[in-house]
Amino acid sequence: MARSAILSFDDPISYQRAIRGAAVEVFVTAKGSFRAELMHIQFDKLCMQHACENLPRVAHSAISPKRGGIEFLTDANQPAAQYCGLGVSSEAIVITSAGSSRHIRSWDACRWAALTLPVEDLSATGYALAGRELTGASLTRLVYPNPVHMARLVRLRAAAQRLAEIAPDALAHPEVSKALEHELVHAMVACLADEAPATPTSGWRHHTAVINRFEELLAANYDRPMHLAEICAAVGASERTLEICCEEHLGIGPMRYLWLRRMHLARRALIETDPSNTTVTQIATGHGFWELGRFAVSYKELFEESPSASLHRPARDCGPSKIVRSGSQIRNLHSQHRDVA
Amino acid sequence: MKRMTESGTATFSNSGEYQAGIGSAIVSLVVTSRGDFKARLTWLKFRHLQAIRSRENVSRIAFVSLLPGRVFASLSLKPEAPTIWSGVELRPGDVVFHSIGERAHHCTKGLNHWGIISLAPERLAAYGKALTGSKLTPPSAVRVLRPSPPAVANLRRILSSACRVAETKPEIFAQQEAARALEQELIHALVTCLTADDAHRSLATKRHHAEIMLRFEDALAAHVDRQPGVPALCAAIGVRERTLQACCAEFLGMGPSRYLRLRRHNMVRAALRRADPATACVAEIARRYPFSHLGRFIAVYRAIFGEMPSATLRHTAI
Repeated sequence: MARSAILSFDDPISYQRAIRGAAVEVFVTAKGSFRAELMHIQFDKLCMQHACENLPRVAHSAISPKRGGIEFLTDANQPAAQYCGLGVSSEAIVITSAGSSRHIRSWDACRWAALTLPVEDLSATGYALAGRELTGASLTRLVYPNPVHMARLVRLRAAAQRLAEIAPDALAHPEVSKALEHELVHAMVACLADEAPATPTSGWRHHTAVINRFEELLAANYDRPMHLAEICAAVGASERTLEICCEEHLGIGPMRYLWLRRMHLARRALIETDPSNTTVTQIATGHGFWELGRFAVSYKELFEESPSASLHRPARDCGPSKIVRSGSQIRNLHSQHRDVA
Repeated sequence: MKRMTESGTATFSNSGEYQAGIGSAIVSLVVTSRGDFKARLTWLKFRHLQAIRSRENVSRIAFVSLLPGRVFASLSLKPEAPTIWSGVELRPGDVVFHSIGERAHHCTKGLNHWGIISLAPERLAAYGKALTGSKLTPPSAVRVLRPSPPAVANLRRILSSACRVAETKPEIFAQQEAARALEQELIHALVTCLTADDAHRSLATKRHHAEIMLRFEDALAAHVDRQPGVPALCAAIGVRERTLQACCAEFLGMGPSRYLRLRRHNMVRAALRRADPATACVAEIARRYPFSHLGRFIAVYRAIFGEMPSATLRHTAI
């Protein structure tokens, strides 16, 4: 049997926490109110997720070492996104290797789906159906499957989503869910097995290595503002190199990325802090914003909310703003994705 | 725990105290236009980087000796004000990259705002290496750089804004992350400016003249009491009078005798300010510097500073 849930979010922080199988950080790059809807279907082994987001963003995701699979854009009309600096349209799939990490940059509203299996199941299925390991390499790779296989995957995924939306209880039926899971896994493997992935160029490898070191450094200092010079020193890349890598992988320059990161860190602190004993000034300066007027203006521009309004938001548990619909088996969302991640 | 960041601001109405207030350099000032001298200094001291902003209201010539041990870069924060550093007329947007322990004349006309930023040489080298891939070392002789206008505007904006915060809300920089962010922003903006190209292709002839000007100041310092005339100075330096004339015009914007006279008048003015008006008298102080013709001294003094020497003397008592 399968369990499904459709959740909606008005905040990137709670959204990124709800994504399963990866530790994700989402930095919205355009002003406006963020909205996202995330659907999960957890089959016996397969986990399917589908998300709609309304604003362009750059996301960094560290894939769980226990799961691997694929990701793809689900709306044929949306502009191409960038996965690790490679342009990706809805005709391509991205292989998400267990334990890898990458950046995904969207330039507008974005719809994406992910299908993952536990590594041992993925490996076994690969040998059984295609006769080889399908997602072993550590670098994230891109595949353009045979359009027939891709169309089948897209159709099945859409059917699964419709079922979760209209008749979630049907997914709880063991026979239905087992059949659907089997078909989805088969379609996924067919796409994965279609083409030997192209070998990336050495330039791309070098840039990816720089970006990975950059993100490792940020992850090691996850709650602390970071600045360009110390990053260049630690990563061992000049500002110019880092700029090229960031433009390629993140779609924005390093200064802007670090600034966005600091803004989001400050926002998280504002939302999660008790307003009775903390001030906006303390949080802003604590995140390296020393021009308070400028901070307030850019904060409002980016999040369409003043810093003090964020601080005085009623305390909440960082969950989805609304559970749109859930299958009967959903009990405790939070404990579940802790397990998976 | 010792605070890593210090900042402060002070206003001076006396060029002597002002000279002492600039901690990172030895400065001797000769005011060259009339009006009450007023200056405001604001300083920021971070873990590695130090910065000073100064705002002055009158024309002056400063002979500056930068302290060795740090690398300095300076720039005008009021782009329209013309200044001359070591005989080189600075255009708006020029950044001066000083050599270690540099000594040179700095002439300003009218209202003038400038900023000076310093780092330990090894720090500058390390940050330069991190950001640009190659070490950034101080030049052996002064370099005037012309960075891209946005790069200078950025450095100027961060420095001015930081000084405004230091003047109005210094407690912000008590917060370690705020200070670290500002220091990093300044370092980044500075390194970007310091990797720019030179504004002048060759300052070789200037360098020869700059050496003459240093010998000129050394000779003046050695003759602090006797106040030598121009011929005696020329003999001490070992140059012809016409050469010194040309150098002074280039570096100071005036001939040597006018500079010497202004310098002496500035010294009298400082002495008058220091003196006790109850016991001191103008004639006696003027004779010390040595102005023998009191009437002519008073007339020139008044023409330069716009007030009578006796008014200066009384002023200190208030």
